[in-house]
Amino acid sequence: MIKLNNINKTYFGAQPLHVLKGINLNVEEGELVSIMGASGSGKSTLLNIIGILDNYDEGDYYLAGKLVKNLSENQAAEFRNKLIGFIFQSFNLIPFKTALENVALPLFYQGVNRKKRNTMAMEYLERFGLKDWANHYPNELSGGQKQRVSIARALVTSPKIILADEPTGALDSKTSAEVMQILREVNATGITMVIVTHERGIANLTRKIVHLKDGIIESIEENDPDKMDFTKEIK
Amino acid sequence: MFNRDFWSEIFMALRRNKLRTVLTGFAISWGIFMLIILLSAGNGLKNGVTSNFADRIQNTYHIWASATELPYKGHKANRFIMLNNKDIQLLESLYQVEEVSPVLSKGGTLIFGDKSRMVSMEGVKPIYKNIEGIKVLEGRFINANDMKNKMKVIVLDKNSADELIRTTGETSIIGKSVFINGLSFTVVGVCKGMPWGDRGECYAPYSTVQMLYNVQEFYQLTFTTKGLDTKEDNEAFQKELKKKLAALHEFSPDDQRGVWINSEMINSLETMRIFNTINIFIWVIGIAMLISGVVGVSNIMRITVKERTNEIGIRKALGAKPRSILLSIVMESLVITTIFGYIGLFLGMGVMEIVNMVLSAGGQATAGGTEMSVFVNPTVDIKIVVLATLVLIISGVAAGFAPAWNSVKVKPIEAMNYR
Repeated sequence: MIKLNNINKTYFGAQPLHVLKGINLNVEEGELVSIMGASGSGKSTLLNIIGILDNYDEGDYYLAGKLVKNLSENQAAEFRNKLIGFIFQSFNLIPFKTALENVALPLFYQGVNRKKRNTMAMEYLERFGLKDWANHYPNELSGGQKQRVSIARALVTSPKIILADEPTGALDSKTSAEVMQILREVNATGITMVIVTHERGIANLTRKIVHLKDGIIESIEENDPDKMDFTKEIK
Repeated sequence: MFNRDFWSEIFMALRRNKLRTVLTGFAISWGIFMLIILLSAGNGLKNGVTSNFADRIQNTYHIWASATELPYKGHKANRFIMLNNKDIQLLESLYQVEEVSPVLSKGGTLIFGDKSRMVSMEGVKPIYKNIEGIKVLEGRFINANDMKNKMKVIVLDKNSADELIRTTGETSIIGKSVFINGLSFTVVGVCKGMPWGDRGECYAPYSTVQMLYNVQEFYQLTFTTKGLDTKEDNEAFQKELKKKLAALHEFSPDDQRGVWINSEMINSLETMRIFNTINIFIWVIGIAMLISGVVGVSNIMRITVKERTNEIGIRKALGAKPRSILLSIVMESLVITTIFGYIGLFLGMGVMEIVNMVLSAGGQATAGGTEMSVFVNPTVDIKIVVLATLVLIISGVAAGFAPAWNSVKVKPIEAMNYR
């Protein structure tokens, strides 16, 4: 599903910063992968490249069998819209739109009509127990609710991949556990999932843990989350 | 693309910043409002002035007798050149000349019953009515029959006619006999006085006046021309005519004076040129005002886009295409400029429509107590509305495009992380 060959990325600022120094990684369809590393290790950059939110300088990136390189902004938008669902640490909900409108937004960009859009969005909100909150604005929701709204938004287009950047970073441990439970359930339906985290507890809930250090993959660790009791301490 | 959702997104964005939207829009409204007021006023002025010429045919000439300025062939300077029948014959021999009417002026006292009034009797031909745009209010003007039979008939101006019958109980002076310098004339018509002041002009057949007073020389000649359509044609003709008249009266063709030749066509072309210049000037001022409004909108759009950077980043991550981002920002700017532009447009047109109503109801604005109008129908026509719409659309797009383009160029991840 995701194939990275020797990906290099440098930020050219006042001092050029070589963030990714030749990343090689394969993620198969339906896998649950976490990327771990200290801050500055390049894990978010890697996720952004996978999500086509950022470009890379060298190497090849294949997404669902297609080479993602020098895409026009139009093609990139198409990929993001159809294949990828994003979950962010800071939720990135649009503040002046209700939960329902936020979830329906990706469908708007697919050209789905309003009625169908709202029905679908409502289905997903219902699935995550947010039916009664559909017409609330993000600032009226708790952190966990916000993250569930953004998960609903990521899933509403039935993407192939979910990319989550520190999905529990802004949540307390109880809510984190709930969110992780949801993500695992989503993965169980066959959707590939890549989670960036710096918390071992979160990574332990995934099947493959990629350790990133200073822009290179240090090790890839196979893991069996079912041995873990995720309802307990994960932080 | 432009469905209900698209528009509701735009109006939602505008509603979120009501005060800002209104303040920005005000600059546009004001610009268009002033442009319309200025254009209407310019139109009013133009309509007012041209309405004074409207009844005159424009291919007319006046020749006035005058004193020479230069000595020539033994003649001293300051010799007064009078016009006579030879001038008429000369003019009638020119192919450019259509019809000639001399003006034999004879001052006198007009008497009717016990009323008297000072008048200036002008012996003219029937064509003179068209040349000067004389409006006949009652009866008729001098005709060819009067000319041929040297009839003692007269056309009075309205003021004189009214004055003569004021206390007599008569309702009309047509058909009555009046005396001018002791000679009896039958009144055949009453005409509107000349717009440039009331000298009591009344008109009698040229042939009659010439016979009665044995006038061989006169001060003024008028004629109409044909085939002279441009300023250049008229200037060339004027030059040629001057040369011929100089030869006839033996004065230097280089003499600035001797006789005055005046072309109505050149005058009116000059007048039109002045109004066109005024019009251009008004557009320049109006557009300049509008530009300050457009800059305001552009500025606000830049701030809006900055504030919405995060949102735009999120939208991009969710699959918004550049076109949709670009369009929504440009359309937002377009909606502000057009809506507020039209508010200004219709307010301006409304104000000028009211001014027009007041003017029409209370009589035309006139200058210096004469009947000359200076301000008629100060409104703009539909062409201006279409043009203003075009200007608004172009400026709206221009105002929105730069900020929109900036927001399209920024990478989604940078936009999302923007604080």
